[in-house]
Amino acid sequence: MALAGSKGGSGRFRIGIDIGGTFTDVVVFDRASGELMLVKVPSVPADPAQGFLNGFDRALRQYGIAIGDVEFIGHGTTVATNTIIEGKGATAGLIASEGFSDVLEIAYQIRPNLFDLMYDKPRPLVARRMALGVPERIGPDGKVYVPLDQAAVVERARALQAMGAEAVVIAFLHSYRFPAHERAARDAIQRACPGLPVVLSSDVCPEFREYPRTSTSVVNAVLLPRVGRYVARLGEALAERGARGGLHLMTSSGGVMAGPVAARYPVQLLESGPAATVLGANHVAAVAGFPNAIVFDMGGTTAKVAMVTNGAPRITDQFEVGPMAVASDTAGRGRGHPVRTPTVEMVEVGAGGGSVAAVDPGGALSVGPESMGADPGPACYAQGGAKATITDANLILGRLNPDFFLGGEKMLDAALAEAAVQNHIARRRGWNLTEAANAIIEVGVARMAAALKMVSIRRGIDPRGYVLVACGGGGPLHAAAIARQVGMTAVLIPPAPGLTSALGLLATDLRHDLVRNVMTETRNADPDALDAAYGELAAEGARLLAEEAVPPEAMRHQRLADLCYVGQAFQLRIPVPDGPVTAATLAVLQDRFHAAHKAAYGFASEGEPTEIVSLRLAAIGAIQRPELREAARGGDNPAAALKARRKVYFHEAGGALDCPIYDRARLAAGNIIAGPAVVEQMDTTTLLPPGATATVDRIGNLLLRV
Amino acid sequence: MPQVTNAREALADLAEGLPPPDMDPITFEVLRNAFMTVTEEMAVTLRRTAYSTNVKTRGDFSCSVIDRDLRVIAQSGQPGHLVSIATTIPASVREIGIEKFRPGDAFLVNDPYRGSNHLNDITCFAPVFVAGELFGFVANMAHHVDVGGASPASLGVNTEIFQEGVILPVTQIAADGAIIDNVMNLILANVRPRREVLGDLRAQLSANAVAARRIGELIATHGLPTLRKFCDELLAYTNRWVDLELRRLPQGTFRAEVFRDDDGISDEPIRLCIAVTLKDGQAILDITGTSPQVRGPMNATRMQTRRSLTHILRCLCDPRIPNNSGFLDRVQCVGPDRTVLTAESPAAVVGAFETMYRVVSGIMLALHPVLPERLPAAGKSLVVNLGFAGWHPRLREYYCYMETVGGGDGARPHKDGYDAVQSEMQNTENAPIEEVELNYPVMIKRYELIEDSGGPGRFRGGLGVRRDFWFAEEECSFSILSDGRKFAPWGLAGGGEGRVARYVLDPDGEARELPSKVTLRVPKGGVVSVQTPGGGGFGPASARDPAKVAEDVANRKVSAAAAAGTYGVKAVR
Repeated sequence: MALAGSKGGSGRFRIGIDIGGTFTDVVVFDRASGELMLVKVPSVPADPAQGFLNGFDRALRQYGIAIGDVEFIGHGTTVATNTIIEGKGATAGLIASEGFSDVLEIAYQIRPNLFDLMYDKPRPLVARRMALGVPERIGPDGKVYVPLDQAAVVERARALQAMGAEAVVIAFLHSYRFPAHERAARDAIQRACPGLPVVLSSDVCPEFREYPRTSTSVVNAVLLPRVGRYVARLGEALAERGARGGLHLMTSSGGVMAGPVAARYPVQLLESGPAATVLGANHVAAVAGFPNAIVFDMGGTTAKVAMVTNGAPRITDQFEVGPMAVASDTAGRGRGHPVRTPTVEMVEVGAGGGSVAAVDPGGALSVGPESMGADPGPACYAQGGAKATITDANLILGRLNPDFFLGGEKMLDAALAEAAVQNHIARRRGWNLTEAANAIIEVGVARMAAALKMVSIRRGIDPRGYVLVACGGGGPLHAAAIARQVGMTAVLIPPAPGLTSALGLLATDLRHDLVRNVMTETRNADPDALDAAYGELAAEGARLLAEEAVPPEAMRHQRLADLCYVGQAFQLRIPVPDGPVTAATLAVLQDRFHAAHKAAYGFASEGEPTEIVSLRLAAIGAIQRPELREAARGGDNPAAALKARRKVYFHEAGGALDCPIYDRARLAAGNIIAGPAVVEQMDTTTLLPPGATATVDRIGNLLLRV
Repeated sequence: MPQVTNAREALADLAEGLPPPDMDPITFEVLRNAFMTVTEEMAVTLRRTAYSTNVKTRGDFSCSVIDRDLRVIAQSGQPGHLVSIATTIPASVREIGIEKFRPGDAFLVNDPYRGSNHLNDITCFAPVFVAGELFGFVANMAHHVDVGGASPASLGVNTEIFQEGVILPVTQIAADGAIIDNVMNLILANVRPRREVLGDLRAQLSANAVAARRIGELIATHGLPTLRKFCDELLAYTNRWVDLELRRLPQGTFRAEVFRDDDGISDEPIRLCIAVTLKDGQAILDITGTSPQVRGPMNATRMQTRRSLTHILRCLCDPRIPNNSGFLDRVQCVGPDRTVLTAESPAAVVGAFETMYRVVSGIMLALHPVLPERLPAAGKSLVVNLGFAGWHPRLREYYCYMETVGGGDGARPHKDGYDAVQSEMQNTENAPIEEVELNYPVMIKRYELIEDSGGPGRFRGGLGVRRDFWFAEEECSFSILSDGRKFAPWGLAGGGEGRVARYVLDPDGEARELPSKVTLRVPKGGVVSVQTPGGGGFGPASARDPAKVAEDVANRKVSAAAAAGTYGVKAVR
């Protein structure tokens, strides 16, 4: 395996491969020239590994790259997510403390919807007949009330194997702190049933609260065989081709893990794709000189927003997966399977290009969350969709080019768009077509702006200090309007907004997020014990990084601690000062916690005791970021890229304006475009409203001042 | 289901006649979402800063925004709380006089005879002023672990409200943004878990502060006149839509008579007479014939009774209709005073939810003949209030804890009922075992589904839950305030009954059956087993798909004996 973290690695090329629903994107970065090369091949949904290899082989062929010169292969995958959503995970068994084997059946004991009498709950990932108890019980303080019955463990494991279990999860009460019984049970099973994968909850998710911990471990187990095979197959195929650079997978938290490690913790890969997008956008922003970015990714069904502050994406601790899941810790709990792993936080709102506009029975106009998706899609796709969507409204307003959608791969039918907006919106509200189309866009933009406020202003962060990075097919079309709604002035459109996630794969470090529950009142905490715990976490992190061939000089770590007031259930994550943990360190932690509590909730209870719940350590293996090559320079006049003119409606101008249409591919660094204007490229359309200007920066980004 | 889709589309056609809100559609949509977000943000703040497991983990609270005209504009939270806030706040504000409120004020109220549910549910409300002008109020209601009185968690078989805990009429708790210490001290001196009650009250105050800030921002952006206009338009819009929906439901009067076991003092069953009239866009619940108010704590006020019909109507109307006074005002409760459903002071009320949930399932029973495709069989129809208190050896203080336990939900016309869920108006989470054991001197000995407890049927009722509390290290005083040991959740359309509830002391030893309403001393080492009811079945058991019976047998949800005896299916494990 190559030295992934080595600054002086001999390989010249770094390759990122992102598999989407339709296309597999390959980005090749040439360290020698700084050039980024792109390849797009059709995805192979039935066999994603084949799509990966097709793209990889084609990239090498097309650019004449010798495989020995490839030093790093980064991969973002939806295999884990799709396995859960499609219900194609492995058959897993669960061994729990006796009396508690219904932990998945009972879940949170809530209904996912208060007022829906015909509600559905997610089906547990382990059938009840395969969830078994064994005699054992440890109390919250480590006292053994019932010793582990090892014979029972073996008997249960054999029974599960006989029922077809491909993996077994062991999840005992209080194992987050006292894992001895789980480990002993694992050893017993490994002796009795060699080859049967065993997942320990104390290994995958050593945090208290049995249901989320067990659920996370079970998700890991049902993913293990399929994702493990997938990763192994890619690794073997790459090895056969003579690749020296190891395969690395993007994790939900925005780091990468070497293939063999990722294959053991596939639960960490669930949000691989979205995390890659945020990392890619962050890299583009950083190179353009913006350490603080709000990433805005608009696709066909939803728009997603994420925050990056000082180069670090905001991380959330828990989310849910499954076909009905809402990917958030607080809203819509109980619709999916909880997964407690650090994850790049994206707030999602049901406003994408295919989102449906409708007048509800009470007479109000709404946009989304219902979506026509890509099939049948908006009415103008002429695939049988008859409902009015955001894309239809954009077409009516002249913002989309019916002959150059997806670079001309899809023709849009304006008459169908008009009929849909006329029938479903204009007629019902007594508006003309343009008014109706404009109202759809404005309501859609308001919803997206609300999501943006949610991640910024609501958390006490002023978005005016951030740049809005627009990705996805729809982002650049609405970014200027959204920025204006929240008072942001800078918008960045990367050269290839659709390839942001593939780029992200090349722009991230190796990373392992480790946690230790300590649960001690800060005033009673023993600094030496905490220091020792951090030492153990650091050693574990170094061991994982070493397994990934990261040299010691490329390793570093970040230490955090989760604190709350004694009695609270939710913690705030506080950075821990460097150096050995001493009484002074604890005092600093406590002060930082009071300040963070005041910032988050408006008050601090300085007289109240605080508790340190968990210690966290991120072990990081630094990699070299791609240094993007500069674009061809030109003067400030963009006339050479002018391809047409057409009428585009702008509400702020009170009507349609005659607009220049530019070809993105022909713009040169230094060009300045004054709004109103439209910039078209293969994967997106950028809209400049009147009063906005766009400058093409040195690496080809469009930097909008709105 | 195709029927529902067709009904929705037909409805949408009919709705073309409704006038739109008389307001810029974008501003309307923006403000509608903004107010919903305000209540959600209040909820997040309350949950994240609260101290008691009941609030921080189980989510037993609700949040509201109320305008100057004392109309609820937006609400989120437990359905069981919603009408209560809408009743309590107007009554409280009128009692004080709206002109008397000052910026920085905050008030508490928990008096059931002023609109609260029971004394444990404390509403905290505050006026919202922007530039000296009153916009309205923000309010949240949280179920406190304990508000004093005779029994742990304020759950006991008492006969007067005075024994149930400290009564807060409209009581000022903050002035100029600062807590009034002598009022707070008076409250804390009367409750068992002082630290948790204080922490939760502080969380309630800060949730209101967050909401007031957000409303201030909205006024700064849109102006107060626009917000006022929006409130009018939102309520008118809701009203038009509710009217349309209510007129589309079957019209007429529909009746049911159902029972609760007893009031905890006598063995007399409590009769609940339900007559629901749907007519001309109004919904009326007539309780004439219901038992007179009882001595024990099973009484409900007229406000609570009204709420049970509001809940069912919300379930039957378009889910997109906003939750505000435009909806809540449509429902009335008529019939004599001083019945168990229209109790008057000083009747004891802490068990009112147990009575209410049976009314909710009773309303569904009444409507089932005219809505056979849309209503489930009876669910567990209980809160199952549990509380215990005692000495905490590690913290060296008196502690108090409460929780409620899920059970089987009723089977539906095309689906099984779910196992181990909250039912009817309640949707609080369970308390994680590890969290409970870390914080209180109790161990949970088992927490599992009860085999064969679901009512048999073509679609099976959900299974009840067994949760055993083991006091391994210290004795305690344990209260159960529940019901459901005698009258089981019924099936519909030929479906069978769910298993009744059981409460057992020392289940693996002497196994002494306990009444459903009791406070007892549990010695060190003692175990209290709480076993909640299963839900009723739907359709005849003989019509159940044998493959589903076999699956239930394999999953230990139905025994082989029951499969053979009840379903006529031979299945082995």
